[in-house]
Amino acid sequence: MIPKPSTIKRHLEAIITGLKYIFVKNRLTLRYPEMVQLLSENYRGMIKYYMDRCISCTLCARICPADAIKMYTVGENKLPGINYMRCIFCGFCVDICPKEALEFTNIHDLAYYTREEQIQKPIEFSKGPPKPIFKKEPMKIVVKLDKSRGLKYERT
Amino acid sequence: MISLDQIIRLIFFPPIFITIVFPGLIALLIVIVFLIWLERKIAAKVQLRYGPLYILKPLGGVIQTVADLLRYLFAEVIIPRRADKFSFIMAPILSFGFAFIPIVALPISSKYFAFKSDLSLLVVLALLTIAPIFILIIGWASDNKFSFIGSLREGYMIMAYEVPLFLSVLAMAILYNTLDIIEIVETQSKWVWGILLNPIAAFVFLICTFMMTARFPFEISEAEQEIVMGPFTEYTGIIFGLCMSYSYIKLYILSLLFAYLFLGGWYPIVWPFTLNPIMPGIITLIKGLIVMIIGIFLRSVYPRFRVDQTLRIGWEGMFVLSIVALILSFSLVILVK
Repeated sequence: MIPKPSTIKRHLEAIITGLKYIFVKNRLTLRYPEMVQLLSENYRGMIKYYMDRCISCTLCARICPADAIKMYTVGENKLPGINYMRCIFCGFCVDICPKEALEFTNIHDLAYYTREEQIQKPIEFSKGPPKPIFKKEPMKIVVKLDKSRGLKYERT
Repeated sequence: MISLDQIIRLIFFPPIFITIVFPGLIALLIVIVFLIWLERKIAAKVQLRYGPLYILKPLGGVIQTVADLLRYLFAEVIIPRRADKFSFIMAPILSFGFAFIPIVALPISSKYFAFKSDLSLLVVLALLTIAPIFILIIGWASDNKFSFIGSLREGYMIMAYEVPLFLSVLAMAILYNTLDIIEIVETQSKWVWGILLNPIAAFVFLICTFMMTARFPFEISEAEQEIVMGPFTEYTGIIFGLCMSYSYIKLYILSLLFAYLFLGGWYPIVWPFTLNPIMPGIITLIKGLIVMIIGIFLRSVYPRFRVDQTLRIGWEGMFVLSIVALILSFSLVILVK
């Protein structure tokens, strides 16, 4: 079996490509606690609720496709609470709210100890998600499109 | 009462130093730890990942393999009920042992060796060929279809790589007119490196080394995506550690052999290495490491060949090339005379 010249060429091409990638310095892994990606303003993170703007129209609870938002009776009003175990971050509630009482934050990296903590009643819901705490100040990274490599990370 | 002087003399007694320290157990352990880490790291780099990182972070996770080894040590060894108990336990130990024994015949320099024999090259190769037999026994003893298929694949390949390997070594032996590793290296120091004298034999030896040690693209007997872990599917704990390091030991020995046969062994000896008869070994180790790194780098580039493709490469490619290498050696010898 004598290999064709094209076969040998392809073997060499594969090896050269592999060697090239060893020395190119651009990885796609984001080392999370040390590097944090800066998110855009339109990012759909956890939801913040402004209780003073709310007019108790219940539209958010009705539009929610995952049954995550539920109305609770607080005093005389009915106000929304959220269940983060169900929420799919689709943004329907934020879009439909006529008084802009619901708003996306760009916080998404949160963990809870118990299931009950994830069901937030109106008062807890209005406090908004807490900011994540890092041991060290993380490096801020921006994702950019690159023609040759696809995605590219850059420091800010 | 044994004095310190006696202990030092005992450690540096060639048969003990070569088997225990270098190129024996201690050097072997360090090289394997480094190689497995480097293999994962290179594959990660080519795939735009980081690889092992968090154990000893300043050095990029070098001791990740030590952590893995500790985990293997403390894991429970499970023996399947239907396995043949005696051969199930003994076969990996013996295959590890027989893969390790050839180290005795590897010299460190022309003045420092465990034993000098006219046939030391043949001793190394003959002992290396015993180990695969135990892979076949493992496949039979495990009573598992994946082990069985894996060991059968190994059995198919044994002939396909051993015959060309031996023929390429024979070509070099004809060229140097000896089977003694020390004399082979000494001959190369007077002439040129073997890789320049007979590049075809060097190529065949290199490819057969990768076939023999289950490197990519010939990682057929252990094919993870197809047959779990091949012959070693049923193994757990430290016995699995033995199985895993088995192919690395073979790679280590064959790479050192490649350095002796084709890359001039411990020559050229420059200043700091002339101080001690053990120091030239470092040069051999560096040359061998380069060969090993080529072997582990291929993992990140190649997919896996099928069994029939590998057999075709072995019999129709490497076998023919090794005969061409033989003819080349003969003609070179005749030309010189």
